[in-house]
Amino acid sequence: MTQSVNHHPSISLLELYCDGSLNAEVALLVATHLDYCPHCQQLRHDIETDLGAQLASSTPASQDLHSADWLEMLNSIVATPQLPRAAAAPAQSVEQLIQIGSYQFELPRSLRRVASKRSKWLSMGGIATARLPSGEPHHASLLFIDKHTDVPLHTHQGLEMTLVLAGEMVDENGHYVPGDLIINSPDDTHKPRNISDEPCLCLSVLSAPLQFKEGLTRWLNPLQRFFY
Amino acid sequence: MDLMMTARHHGPEPSTPVLVTDRTLNLATTESVNRDLGQWEQALALVALTRDKQAYQELFGYFAPRLRAFGIKMFGNEQQALEMVQDTLLNVWQKAALFDPTRGCASTWIFTIARNVRFDMLRKKQSRKDDISADDLWADGDYPEAEDHQTQKWELWLITEKLAPHFAALPPAQRTVMEKVYLEEMSHQEVSDLLSIPLGTVKSRIRLALDRLREALDDSER
Repeated sequence: MTQSVNHHPSISLLELYCDGSLNAEVALLVATHLDYCPHCQQLRHDIETDLGAQLASSTPASQDLHSADWLEMLNSIVATPQLPRAAAAPAQSVEQLIQIGSYQFELPRSLRRVASKRSKWLSMGGIATARLPSGEPHHASLLFIDKHTDVPLHTHQGLEMTLVLAGEMVDENGHYVPGDLIINSPDDTHKPRNISDEPCLCLSVLSAPLQFKEGLTRWLNPLQRFFY
Repeated sequence: MDLMMTARHHGPEPSTPVLVTDRTLNLATTESVNRDLGQWEQALALVALTRDKQAYQELFGYFAPRLRAFGIKMFGNEQQALEMVQDTLLNVWQKAALFDPTRGCASTWIFTIARNVRFDMLRKKQSRKDDISADDLWADGDYPEAEDHQTQKWELWLITEKLAPHFAALPPAQRTVMEKVYLEEMSHQEVSDLLSIPLGTVKSRIRLALDRLREALDDSER
């Protein structure tokens, strides 16, 4: 990989990712960007260090839980056997390679488990999508763009976030390589194209902030808070 | 922007450890455990190596009430907060052997466990347990500490007037560290001693501040 990642999430978005308040689909997109980007890995480390220091230096409320309750919790925990080092590491069945037509792509770590649960590929011309497990109001999917193929001009109600996983593509605003993150707001009309000789694979997350209704927890719509 | 509103405390971190002699005697095999480790890093090492219940109890006593306060802030109710505390501290007990002090502070490790537990609790509540989980989102941060070359590159910039207005907009904890280092010309170690925060936290805050400044510069040049 000769070209380095150039389009990063903002620090604000990284902070939401680190404190766990991004919704799962957008968090997945950020996590996948990190798989490609040592710079943001370092920032993640720094933000988590800061959040951990905040936790450690916080002062708990004075009206505290009865100490008998704490003691009960403590005793139940230390009565549990510890896990040996090997067993404590999660073993997962994952998919490292993905096959699309005659092409094969290696998946980044964050997508390996999730991608194995994708729906069937739907294709049209040189473009194909497969939905990843995700719910309203966010849709996460894999997007395949064959070489020398344009994605039809489009707008969207919500946000469109795209992360290049393999290959490259261009739009009106730039040229994107693996790891690059592209965020289009509802007002953007754009036309991504793959003008290269290699196929392109992306992770795409669509959201429709206008569909947020009252009663949903604030946790569900940090992006709304972020952009509006 | 609302996003910037997250509270940034910069109170003192846990006091320097007092090494209990009879415990270190039991740890002949762990001489290699760095003597400069903080109190909680040592406690975790003891839990991992000897299932030391007293060390665990100290960790528990310190972090349980703080995690509970954190949980109540996040969930808005005590029942779920306590569920999060129990699950988090059970993980700390069971997985202490996975903690690697060369990769970060104990407080960072415990925070990330709590964050992951909370995330999975929320997903479970929505019956979304099986799609995207904390394990997918937060790889065990196997990220080495970067060298400080980035810092030097910035030194010239930092004294220019161009940056001054952005400096003021930094979160207080980061700004304090930046002022000590770049205006008062203290070393990272001196700042660490002065503010009673670990050296790694000083470096982290500088890097975060630099990135924030870069973002601010990019925006203002657009």
